[in-house]
Amino acid sequence: MIAVFFAGLRMNIIQINKGRDIPLSGAAERKKVLCALPPVVAVQPPDFYGLRLIPVVKPGDSVHVGSPLLEHKDDRRVKIVSPASGAVADIIRGDKRALLAITVRCDGKQSALSFPKTPAAEVKHLAPDAVIGQMLSAGVWPCVRQRPFAKIAEPGSRPKSIFVQAHMTDPLSPDLDFVLEGQEARFHAGLEILKRLTPGTVFVCCPPSARSRAIQEASGVSVVGFAGPHPAGNVSTFIHHLDPVQKGDVVWYIGAEDVCRIADLFLEGRFNPRRTVAVTGEGALSRVYGQTVLGAPIRHLLTGALLESSRYISGSVLRGTDVGLDGYVCFYDQQVTVLPLGGKREFLGWLRPGWNKYSFSRTFLSSLPRRGTEALFSLDTDRHGGQRAIVLNHLYDGYVALDVLTYFLVRAIVSGDLEEAQRLGLLECADEDFALCAFACPSKFDVGGVIREGLKLIETEG
Amino acid sequence: MTFLERKIKNLGRHFSAGKPLAKFYPVYEALDTFCFTPGTRTSKAPFVRDAIDLKRVMTFVVLGLMPCLAMGIYNTGYQVLLARGEALRFGACVWQGLFKVFPVILVAYAAGGFWEVLFAAVRKHEISEGFLVTGLLCALIMPPTVPLWQVAVGISFGVVIGKEIFGGTGYNIFNPALVSRAFLFFAYPAQFSGDQAWVAVDGFSRATPLAVLSAAGHGGQAVPALQEAGYSFSNMFWGFIPGSIGETSTFACLLGMGFLLVTGVANWRVIAGCGLGLLGTGTLLFFSRGPESLAFFSLPPHWHLVMGGFAFGSIFMATDPVSSCATNSGRWIFGLLVGTLVVLIRVFNPAYPEGVMLAIIFMNAFAPLVDHYVVERHIRKRSARLAAFRGEAGCR
Repeated sequence: MIAVFFAGLRMNIIQINKGRDIPLSGAAERKKVLCALPPVVAVQPPDFYGLRLIPVVKPGDSVHVGSPLLEHKDDRRVKIVSPASGAVADIIRGDKRALLAITVRCDGKQSALSFPKTPAAEVKHLAPDAVIGQMLSAGVWPCVRQRPFAKIAEPGSRPKSIFVQAHMTDPLSPDLDFVLEGQEARFHAGLEILKRLTPGTVFVCCPPSARSRAIQEASGVSVVGFAGPHPAGNVSTFIHHLDPVQKGDVVWYIGAEDVCRIADLFLEGRFNPRRTVAVTGEGALSRVYGQTVLGAPIRHLLTGALLESSRYISGSVLRGTDVGLDGYVCFYDQQVTVLPLGGKREFLGWLRPGWNKYSFSRTFLSSLPRRGTEALFSLDTDRHGGQRAIVLNHLYDGYVALDVLTYFLVRAIVSGDLEEAQRLGLLECADEDFALCAFACPSKFDVGGVIREGLKLIETEG
Repeated sequence: MTFLERKIKNLGRHFSAGKPLAKFYPVYEALDTFCFTPGTRTSKAPFVRDAIDLKRVMTFVVLGLMPCLAMGIYNTGYQVLLARGEALRFGACVWQGLFKVFPVILVAYAAGGFWEVLFAAVRKHEISEGFLVTGLLCALIMPPTVPLWQVAVGISFGVVIGKEIFGGTGYNIFNPALVSRAFLFFAYPAQFSGDQAWVAVDGFSRATPLAVLSAAGHGGQAVPALQEAGYSFSNMFWGFIPGSIGETSTFACLLGMGFLLVTGVANWRVIAGCGLGLLGTGTLLFFSRGPESLAFFSLPPHWHLVMGGFAFGSIFMATDPVSSCATNSGRWIFGLLVGTLVVLIRVFNPAYPEGVMLAIIFMNAFAPLVDHYVVERHIRKRSARLAAFRGEAGCR
């Protein structure tokens, strides 16, 4: 299944054969556009899976870039900080007073709290505890997540390796190699700092075609290219093929742009809130890479006439969050997707030849070979059918790039046999790895949801 | 909103909560989504979904069965006219066939549908499309002489005991259509075995090829015995022989198989396994034949492929994804064992000349066990791989 070979002198390439790309239309042009500072930004607690956050500010408080807004109840050192300077506008709560967002009205100055600076030559001599301490106090820590459980890393743990995600294969996802262009020095300094945090290897996982100097010239780390269709660019895929997690293990992972954020903290002594967001999807008129700040409003990134009836997703169509036109980009997302809503009822849909209906199956005429612009499909948020029990159980395994038997894993979780689920490899998984299964399932079964439930149960029950 | 859409929506008022027909909402839902796609939108990731749904999957299985149905109708009429010694005109064959086959299908769908609706109403879930396939399969594996009340009893047993008590489509252990057939076979052996069941003319008796060989006993030669009874390889392949309605034509089954494999609805591993298992066992017997062995031993192995319901069973019934194995290696094992069992039952069991139904039901029961061992092996391989990584890390 996996062929590992050497391409050139430096980059190992791992070929992923399972999975499939959804040929969705509406990719972003390779053009970076500097966005003006938005009038308001938001920090959204639901983004930070694994943290129990409580606000430490009140509406009206004035904040700087890097001022704490929220703290983790179980470990007060873990903070979420403001990406903009200004005043706290609102603390938004939902059902049962669950904290949904803290919004900050920007004053445009972006005055930042300052933290100790380290000269570039010195970063490789920093003590691990000092690195973690400064990342915690400046609010950069939540950028680091861990497996198993895909939650924010525990500052006290020592990972056996760290994975830098410089490759995404979700539909219309940003080209992170392109995002890193021009950020070589910061990226390399960030890698040096990450190397201080693990006794093992720091892996930089990138597309096999990565050309940016940031990746080409990274030293002291293991650069691995992942070739093949989605989910070749999923963190679980990287970890599974390079250093799989077992019971008792912890690995950390971090996005490529967040590596630069760490570098900025140590080199410049400030929290850098910059975030590059690819604007994608058919519903967006101008599709470019917008350079903005964390927690920017969706409306601010889009130009032209905006339809209320479109679906505004922070992230990709496979793992994003529906935030609506008035929502904000989620903390970890580097992409906004605007989709047509769809859901028009069609006469005798089960019998239509379907030249324009995309399907992994070969039951529509659309699976005949197509050329040029016809090879891309316009998809909307129609579920295309009712929910049923799983019938076609042979479909799933072809779309998961991990060595797991998806159908049996789902069965073990649904029947509450967590022991069996762990033996089947649940700890290596995250819900996003099964998005293609849920996409392809004719029974419209929420595979990812079951996986998430299973992980939650294991985490709480030990 | 089109005229029809509006009409259906108006009809829906009678089925809403509190109205007298509320209990039968699943019937309305089925009609509604039969005419128009549900149009439901996704509310969480993944936001886009494949255009296929279970309705289409099941529709495609039904389409795959169409060649067998067409051939079944034609051949049923053909056998009737042949037995009566009348002229074998195409139109007359089809008319006679329709006259016999159509009521069987109608009763199968009506009786099966009744239970399906009842369980959907009681359990408050949507009517599953699986029953479209079950009803047709069940009709196609009936002998053409079957009394209609037996069809109704059989499919009721199959749907209720074979499927619904396990939780409905997707949870059944056995193939419901085969459960119907097996129930009828053991409950009413007079109508389901013997030489009078296979041609829909009263009192007419003609042995099926398998019965001919079974009767040939020890020391006989298979091919001459078949030819004497009027069966050649080619008429068994094309299907102009007496037998259950849809099973006689291997050619029609192959057309259906092509359709199911091209569209990816059926899993090829089960079908390939069945074929190889049957040929392998058939070959073994063929080369171990002696002067005093059963006539079946001297049957060239590929003849097994075109006899009885093997092609139909292995293509349309063994491949049922729910009741067969759910691992790829498991599917191979499942298929191979079905093929092997078919030959063993045919040759060594004088009580039942046809072995396909029993072979598949038997393997349905063992499919979870096969899967269990495949999954255990997978888990062992997984932990060996993980241990290898750990070893490497230790060396570093």
